[in-house]
Amino acid sequence: MQTVRMALNAMATRFEFLLHGDDAVLLRGAGEEALAEIKRLEQQLSFYDPTSEISQLNANASKEPVRVTPRLYSLLRKAAEIHNETHGAFDVTVGPLMRCWGFVRGRGTWPEEHERKEALTKTGMDKVVLNDAERTVAFRQPGMALDLGAIGKGYAIEEAGIFLREGGITSALLHGGTSTMLAIGTPPQNTDGWPIGISDPLDDSQMLTSTSIRDEALSVSAPRGKGFQKDGKMWGHVIDPRKGYPVQGATLSAVAHPSAMICDAISTALLAMRREDGKQVQQKFHGMRTLCVYDDAGATDLVSLEFHSTHPTNQ
Amino acid sequence: MSKHTVSRRAFLMGSAALSGAGLVRAANIKTRLWPGNRNDVQCGIIGYGPQGRDITATLARVPGAQVAAICDTYGPMLRRAQRDAPEATRHEDYREILNNPDIQAIIVATPTHLHRDIAVNALQAGKNVYCEAPMASSIEDAKAIARAARDATGQIFQVGQTYRSNPQHRSVFQFMRSGAIGKPAMARGQWHAKESWRRASPSADRVRELNWRLDPAITTGLIGEAALLQMDVAYWVLGELPASVHGFGQIMAWEDGREVPDTIQAIFEFPSGLHMMFDATLASSFDEAYEAYYGSDSTILFRDRGKAWMFKEVDAPMLGWEVYARTDRFYKETGIALLANATQLDAQNVDPTEDDPNVETPLWYALQEFMDNHAFGPYPPAANWERGLEATAVAITANQAIMERAQRDIDPASYTLG
Repeated sequence: MQTVRMALNAMATRFEFLLHGDDAVLLRGAGEEALAEIKRLEQQLSFYDPTSEISQLNANASKEPVRVTPRLYSLLRKAAEIHNETHGAFDVTVGPLMRCWGFVRGRGTWPEEHERKEALTKTGMDKVVLNDAERTVAFRQPGMALDLGAIGKGYAIEEAGIFLREGGITSALLHGGTSTMLAIGTPPQNTDGWPIGISDPLDDSQMLTSTSIRDEALSVSAPRGKGFQKDGKMWGHVIDPRKGYPVQGATLSAVAHPSAMICDAISTALLAMRREDGKQVQQKFHGMRTLCVYDDAGATDLVSLEFHSTHPTNQ
Repeated sequence: MSKHTVSRRAFLMGSAALSGAGLVRAANIKTRLWPGNRNDVQCGIIGYGPQGRDITATLARVPGAQVAAICDTYGPMLRRAQRDAPEATRHEDYREILNNPDIQAIIVATPTHLHRDIAVNALQAGKNVYCEAPMASSIEDAKAIARAARDATGQIFQVGQTYRSNPQHRSVFQFMRSGAIGKPAMARGQWHAKESWRRASPSADRVRELNWRLDPAITTGLIGEAALLQMDVAYWVLGELPASVHGFGQIMAWEDGREVPDTIQAIFEFPSGLHMMFDATLASSFDEAYEAYYGSDSTILFRDRGKAWMFKEVDAPMLGWEVYARTDRFYKETGIALLANATQLDAQNVDPTEDDPNVETPLWYALQEFMDNHAFGPYPPAANWERGLEATAVAITANQAIMERAQRDIDPASYTLG
């Protein structure tokens, strides 16, 4: 049994693969093809590269419908579906709000009320017209922009997993910035799956809980890391696209599901949702396990929905 | 084939120009004509590896193009094709696509050594052909394709030397040809990556097929498969083809039984006396890919798919537009950015010091030129069969010199059909 580790800096994060198999040369060959696919997707989906397909779309879609590639179109369709399933808590049009709250390049600042209202008028997946027959995308409002940051990393990991499986890989762990990961098969010594620890949102040095994944993805989100203090309260860098304020839902969410893209999107959406709404969303996706942490006046409340149950074996 | 009928797109572009709106409007017209316009050029993609996929994704955004059929001999590639282009038919035998009278254009993106039969058969079937570079892995094959392209009058043949169609390269080309670097001294280029070039598959037969780049009998090596587009720019801006090449090759990183060097250096001697050194490696990604042209007044650096900067000597004459130009710092050097359309951007109220928001990739411009040729041509494209034969002949000879660690003269007869 041989092991190959590989890494790539893309999408403003670090992707890493851990691959097990009989032939290191072939493991690396399959890994390189999958990494190249992530790089290709970065070039296609980057919000900051002016030649990316997303940038071209953002530059023109408020003037006229823009035709996009079939793969990007089906990704945007998926994003619209998840937007519906989460009652708007997941929204790839949140860019203008992020900018107005100063989270695009800075640590954030409280905006003027008219700025926030103005940004809200440019936000909302319901203002994006997807035309299946023409495969075009159009914005109903000028100044709108699609930013696939909350779904791109999961999508890239999911596509990389398809490439690795096609290359004959049967045992691998992939992750992007340690927040979204995908397991192929099991590690050589552990038929239960890949053990994953989740750290405490209030204290990184403490382990909150752990689980294991096998032919399954896992994504963890928390509004910590970037944010600012106001009135004795911490305001994090995840914005609720419906209200236009930083999220007030879970302080940490972890989602396990066969699709890394869905994990990535739902773990973000859960941060903007109340307990009951979160439960309803989990029930809409077959095979989904979730863990949410809520802060109840200083006391930590942990809500696990099948999170510690054994993974589905029929994947 | 309907290449002689005026397409709706051609008509609209013509009328926009007549109405005085100018070509700036063409960018807006393109989306309204999409998709499924029956005048769209029906394209068949042969070979669905990374390049075939890139071409398919790019054609989806090029006006007037429709990917109608995709061929590959390997199941997983056809499954990718289905996800990337659901409306295209899928084939394991490319002749099915050649036999389809609705297909007007064939894009050849197979491994290099398989280009010949497909390109020649496609031309003989009356199709317009876009053939990836290098055109072939032997000079004999390259000449067979070139001959078929020359003889196919009334048909389009374009080779994938994409920088020839890139507006940014064209702009810097004019600039260099006007003598901006002074008296040329030398040129240097590099292509650096950290990757093994190995490809994997669960099937052993397939592994052999996939790893054609590492098969010494058929590969053109790093100088052909990695460096050709950059070297093609050299022949273009220098206006001459090398007379000889001295090659070196080593295996420095990937000792996995391969015989094809993972690290190479080649020194090209041009008839004017100018020498160009090119090095390529799979062992280190440092500083990626660029070319530099050194002269008595300045050095011009190309990198990032067509961006360019000029580094002036202190005693060089002042250029009129220099004071308005954007400068970028490169450690202790200051480069003047050479932008293709600075004045046009200024007219559109776009700050010329910003990156152009309308810029596309070199592959997009090359495929757009190929599609435009269907509407307005046929005319010889910038990257025609002659340019393809020349660049391929240099690459093949240079690869032989690298494999032999020797100096080789390049037979001028290899550049032409005689």
